[in-house]
Amino acid sequence: MRTILRVDMSTLRVTSEPVPERWKDFGGRALTSAIVFEEVPADADPLGPANKLIIATGLLGGTTAPNGGRLSIGGKSPLTGGIKEATGGGQLGHTLGHLGIAAIVVEGAAKTGLYSLLIEADGSAKLERTDDWAMLGNYALADKIAATRPEGDRFATASIGPAGEKRLAAASIAVSDPKGYPNRHAGRGGLGAVMGSKGLKAVIASDRGVTGVPDHADKDAFVAATRKFATALREHPVSGEGLPTYGTQVLTNIINEAGGYPTRNFSAGQFEFASALSGENMREITLERGGNVKHGCHSGCVIQCSRYWYDKDGHYKTKGMEYESVWSLGADCGIGDLDDVAELDRACGDIGIDTIEMGATLAVYMESGALAFGDAKGALAALKQVGTDSELGTTLGSGAGATGKKFGVTRVPTVKNQAMPAYDPRPIQGIGVTYATSTMGADHTAGYAITANVLGVGGSVDPLKPEGQVALSQSLQIATAMLDAMGLCIFVAFPVLDKPEAFEAIVEMATAHTGKDWNADELMGLGKKVLTYERLFNNHAGFTAADDRLPAYMYTEKLPPHNVVFTVPDAELDTMYDFVDETAMALQIS
Amino acid sequence: MQIELALFAKLSARYPVPGSGREPRPLEIEDGTRVGALVERIGLAAEPRITFVNGRHAADDRLLAEGDRLAIFPPIAGG
Repeated sequence: MRTILRVDMSTLRVTSEPVPERWKDFGGRALTSAIVFEEVPADADPLGPANKLIIATGLLGGTTAPNGGRLSIGGKSPLTGGIKEATGGGQLGHTLGHLGIAAIVVEGAAKTGLYSLLIEADGSAKLERTDDWAMLGNYALADKIAATRPEGDRFATASIGPAGEKRLAAASIAVSDPKGYPNRHAGRGGLGAVMGSKGLKAVIASDRGVTGVPDHADKDAFVAATRKFATALREHPVSGEGLPTYGTQVLTNIINEAGGYPTRNFSAGQFEFASALSGENMREITLERGGNVKHGCHSGCVIQCSRYWYDKDGHYKTKGMEYESVWSLGADCGIGDLDDVAELDRACGDIGIDTIEMGATLAVYMESGALAFGDAKGALAALKQVGTDSELGTTLGSGAGATGKKFGVTRVPTVKNQAMPAYDPRPIQGIGVTYATSTMGADHTAGYAITANVLGVGGSVDPLKPEGQVALSQSLQIATAMLDAMGLCIFVAFPVLDKPEAFEAIVEMATAHTGKDWNADELMGLGKKVLTYERLFNNHAGFTAADDRLPAYMYTEKLPPHNVVFTVPDAELDTMYDFVDETAMALQIS
Repeated sequence: MQIELALFAKLSARYPVPGSGREPRPLEIEDGTRVGALVERIGLAAEPRITFVNGRHAADDRLLAEGDRLAIFPPIAGG
């Protein structure tokens, strides 16, 4: 039986209840978004006691489904003012799955003090006062937590750094990887600040000795489906070769080649030091230094795109930086050296702040003239103020939008006040549609239209033209919401888009695990339900069509080298959610 | 005439000899050479690939011109 663990920070009580019948097919993002929709008033203060923080494992969480251990964290975002689901890697998704916990719902707010939630392998759970851990960075905190655990324990954590405790709108939640490094982040939208506002520093969950759960409706069929899925992932060139060899950083050169690599605060689409930042170069340096170039962010991952970055002396510095982080802290700030980027990445990880938002924010700060583009030392010094009480640190930690206002910068690349990731929407129009319309604010993962626009995966469209982009983004947003609900890594989408047997395997895994007879339409229907909860929440929170637009300058300011602007018509953007009324009726929500 | 050839990821070391590295290199070609013919000449015809000329996707029948930049990637994705 799957359970929901309710953690009332106002009374410091922890209770467990079965997952209600209406949510029996929900996991991950479906569960976080349904709970936010039903239980959080749309006008709630994101940092007040009426907001909730939901940590949910996918429907396949805890199973041996390949790449099935992703974690969803949800709530109302202090950055966007809308609903938020931040997906992260790390081990906690599987740990919760092993314990039969579908979701942790953190409610209310502690009146005083700082607490951590301890969940033991026997299923018991309690809050402990951990004032001594106040203002610790995620890495020092990980050492403190490890020191409290018994010898031979197997545990996973979610934690916040100083940025979350200071309730900064760009604060992330760090999740521990299989080796215990707190280096996987549910980064986007400031959920670390929500956790901080509750007075919760860490979640620590042990699954030591827990085996054989969760049960499958049909174990043999489940095992057969997982084999089929793993084979499809291994046979596809992207998930079987490109990602394991170079990590997500494999994208740097190709996005730069396509002229869509945002450089110096989105003022150009190519960066002269892209080769130095590239995945090819990162792999060579990592191997020279004895770093790790291939592992999974959670157990059961067969793609293995994670790596560890070592410094020049051969010591662990940070996780192998992701493509988005290298772009934001590198090219967008005019910084072209991987060691400089690694220092910034480490600082973000330790302070507990979203790398995408932070890099975009530093670039806006640089555009104000306060700091020169390319000044890595200055950027690090500014970043290290985040999480302190300094005015600059508080501004930067509040994101690109706040920083633009504070310093009088008008070229601010945000949608719904969330910074755009590493693809300029002018020469890659499909991703612009996703940025504009996603319930999350500017978010590439919500509907990764780079596939058909640049990479030739799942078909092909002209990236400079508006034709076909809305339909592409819509189908990707629905499919992604489904994968997030299953707890599957988004990178399975590449083989799924190209290989029918990969999609069939998801249907078969879901059916064999739950006993419900899933089919393709029902899986896509699940994605539509997720987006319907989210869209309606945002409507209730006051969002209108005007919020589904890119910043004005992207419609008028041509981006070199292709010298194009964003041209997808507003009327087409407004058709993105044409399925919501029908889905809402079926869900009996409005 | 001369164009610039850039090969990436696992293709980066494939031409002109194994271990050629990641830097883009100048390449002499005859007038009237098309992308497909050149790809065959450098031994990559059998490789699945994503091909750009001057930052735009290019089909195999694309005629190359003096100063063009031809960039070839294996199938990759991420994000």
